[in-house]
Amino acid sequence: MSEQRPFHRPMPANWWAHKPYLSYTLRELTGVAVALYGVILLAGLVCLWLGADAYAGYQDVIASKLSLLAHLLLLVAMLWHVVTWFQTLPKTMPRLILHGKPVKPQSITAIGLLVAGVCSVALLAAVVALGAWS
Amino acid sequence: MTDIPPALEKSRMIQLRVLRYCPSSDSEPSFVVYNVPFSDDMSVLQGLQAIKADQDGSLSFRWSCRMAVCGSCGMMINDEPKLACETFLRDLAPGPVTIEPLRNFPIERDLVVTVGDFVKKIESIYPYIMPKVPKSIEDGPYLQTPAQMAAYDSFADCINCMLCYAACPQFGANPAFIGPGAMAMLQRYNSDSRDGGQLQRLDQIHGEDGVWSCTAVGVCSEVCPKQVDPANAVNQNKTRSALDFFLRFLRKAPSP
Repeated sequence: MSEQRPFHRPMPANWWAHKPYLSYTLRELTGVAVALYGVILLAGLVCLWLGADAYAGYQDVIASKLSLLAHLLLLVAMLWHVVTWFQTLPKTMPRLILHGKPVKPQSITAIGLLVAGVCSVALLAAVVALGAWS
Repeated sequence: MTDIPPALEKSRMIQLRVLRYCPSSDSEPSFVVYNVPFSDDMSVLQGLQAIKADQDGSLSFRWSCRMAVCGSCGMMINDEPKLACETFLRDLAPGPVTIEPLRNFPIERDLVVTVGDFVKKIESIYPYIMPKVPKSIEDGPYLQTPAQMAAYDSFADCINCMLCYAACPQFGANPAFIGPGAMAMLQRYNSDSRDGGQLQRLDQIHGEDGVWSCTAVGVCSEVCPKQVDPANAVNQNKTRSALDFFLRFLRKAPSP
C-alpha cells in the first residue's frame, strides 16, 4: 500500500491578473467607476442644497478640462459596465423556452441592451425637452 | 507522387513539462521534462501514454474513454483546464507544453487529484429524480414535452470532469463552496418537470458554501467541454435562494 499524503497547492494571490480572469477583473473594476460617478452627482446635489454660490463653484469644477477628461474616461468605463452587465444577464436568468427551444443568450443580451439604450435616450430626450419647455 | 500522408510523416518531437509528485518520496511537486515523438493525430493523453510506455512507467494519470465522454483526464494544459484526450499535440507544437494536475484540488500523485470531496458534493444534491407524484408501473411512464426537456437537458450533459472547479477562483478560495459542477447537476434535477425534490435540495443552495460564494466570474462555463453552462445553474439558483429567504414562512413544509 503506497503512502497517501495529498499535496495542497496554494492559489496564487494574483489570480485575478491572470489571462482568463482579466475580463472579469475589468468588469468588476468598472463598478468602481459607476460608484465614482454616483459620488460626483451626489456632490452636485449637495452643492445645490447649500446654495447658489456653492452650485456655481460645482459647475466651474465640472466644466474644467480635467473634469471633462475624467468624465470621458468614466463614460467609457460606464459603457463597458453596461455591455458586460447585459452579457452576464442570461447567466443569471432561468432558461427561457420559446416554442420548445431555449432562447439564445446572445438574443437576451441584445434585447436587454436595446431596451436599456431606448430607455436612456427617451429619458435624456424627456429631460432636454422638459428643460427647454420650463 | 512523393506526397506522404501527414500521419505517416517522420514524427516530430515535442517537449512536455509534467508536474510530478510522489507522496512517499517528494516533499513538494516539481516539473520533469520529457521529449516525446508525436504525429498529427496524437492527443496530450497519448503523449502521456507514450511517456509511460517508453520513458517512465511510474507516471500516474487518470483516463478511460479517450473520447471526451468519461471526464477522467481533466488536467491543466498550458495553465488551462482541459481534457487531455481532446487536446491535440499538433495544436501545441512546437511546445514546450506544461502539464499539471487540475488546479484547486489536492494532488494525490503526479496528475491524479483527490476527488472525494467533489463526489460528496454530488451526493449531497440528491442526484436523482424524486417524483412529484409516485406512480406504479401500471400507471404508465412519466410523460414530458420537448419544451419541458429543453429546460434541463443541457445540464444533463455534465460528465463530472471537474474542469469548472479548476477554473473557479471562488472554489480555490473556499473549498467548501458547492461549486459549478454540483450546482449544474442540482439544476438538472430541479428543473425536470417530473421532479419534486426542490425543497430537499434547498440546503445545498443556501449560504456562503452554497451559491453565494459565486461572483459570476463565468470562466467555469468557458472551460466546460460539454457546453453545460454551470455558471447559469449557479446564478439562477441565487434567485431561488433569495426568494426562499423571504418566502420561507409561507411554504407548507419547513426546510429539513
